[in-house]
Amino acid sequence: MPGHVGLLADAARTLNATDTGDLHFIPPAHGSEVYEEGTAHGTLPGSMHAHCKIGAVVEANFTIYTRGGTITGHGKATPNGSGEYESFAGSILVTSGTGRYAHAHGRAGLYGTFNRKTYALVVQTTGQLSY
Amino acid sequence: MRRARHLTALIACLCLPASAQATQVVKLDAALTPDRLGQAATIGFGFHITTTTHGVPAPLTGVAVSYPNNLGIALSGLGLATCTETTLEHSGPEGCPTDSIMGYGTARAELPVGTDIVDETGSVTLIRGPSQNGHLALLFYTNAETPVSSQTVLPGLLLPTPAPYGGRISITVPLIEGLPDGPDVTVTELSSTFGPQHLTYYETVHGHRIAYHPNGILLPDHCPRGGFPFAAELRFADGSHAVTRTSVPCPRQPALPG
Repeated sequence: MPGHVGLLADAARTLNATDTGDLHFIPPAHGSEVYEEGTAHGTLPGSMHAHCKIGAVVEANFTIYTRGGTITGHGKATPNGSGEYESFAGSILVTSGTGRYAHAHGRAGLYGTFNRKTYALVVQTTGQLSY
Repeated sequence: MRRARHLTALIACLCLPASAQATQVVKLDAALTPDRLGQAATIGFGFHITTTTHGVPAPLTGVAVSYPNNLGIALSGLGLATCTETTLEHSGPEGCPTDSIMGYGTARAELPVGTDIVDETGSVTLIRGPSQNGHLALLFYTNAETPVSSQTVLPGLLLPTPAPYGGRISITVPLIEGLPDGPDVTVTELSSTFGPQHLTYYETVHGHRIAYHPNGILLPDHCPRGGFPFAAELRFADGSHAVTRTSVPCPRQPALPG
């Protein structure tokens, strides 16, 4: 149904988004899994919550709480660090949302560091978000 | 009371090269100390190689030890510093930062001399090396004094592995020359801890150097069905390889107060 597709395309909005999240550890840890929360700055400011599994690969499910609604997705990255700070690089996939971002989807690059003593995370994402 | 649970398994699979006369038989041990769910622990692992003909096994060239999923290795606070292979070769573990030490163990090797077999035992120090291609690097420094003084670095990498394992420690074992024109030395046993047991780290707080024990490897809150699985794959210079598995039993739940 080409007309319907066109309508959806017209209604969709796309953002080039660059955001940074400063997250701190919410104890306790569970094996290799940690819960983190903190603030997101940049195109989509708000608070952020992530459930991370930190192993040979770093995996996370996250939700960003903005004024207009929530944005949810997951990410995967490869660690590449030495010592107290572990850096990692990978990608995130936005899969859903609520409110203004109810139809959110998109993909972005993911970069960050993980403090192996405090478990604090700093993440940066750059990519496109459609909603 | 701290205690460790051990379980030993005999080899599950033996693979022979076409021309082999003897088959390598491998026994794998694994332990989690202490074995309390949700608490930090030290992983212990080791293997022992024999042959079906009771002779000297073919020289070992590689080992991959797979460990259970959901162990908090990256959260362990271990290996906050790194040491290079070059530093180890020149100065030994004493030349490395204290916070790069991640465990200790022992190794044993056999060397055929004529019709005799000479045993050599040594110590192992597990040290964090600089990451390679995104993978955490581990260096196993072996130091043997008698009957032959020998220091060897076995480089290893922490690599992803499919479930039910969380990753594997892939160790390259270089061929170790024996007597001139003689066969290579064969590593027959290697065991190591990977955790905070017997480790002291240091941090600087307000200008003072403070000693502390690193956290350790956090066990998950739930034990997998059948226990915590471990596996080892060993490769030998004669082209054969062996795979063996074991598991650390689930800890008994503490009795509820009556």
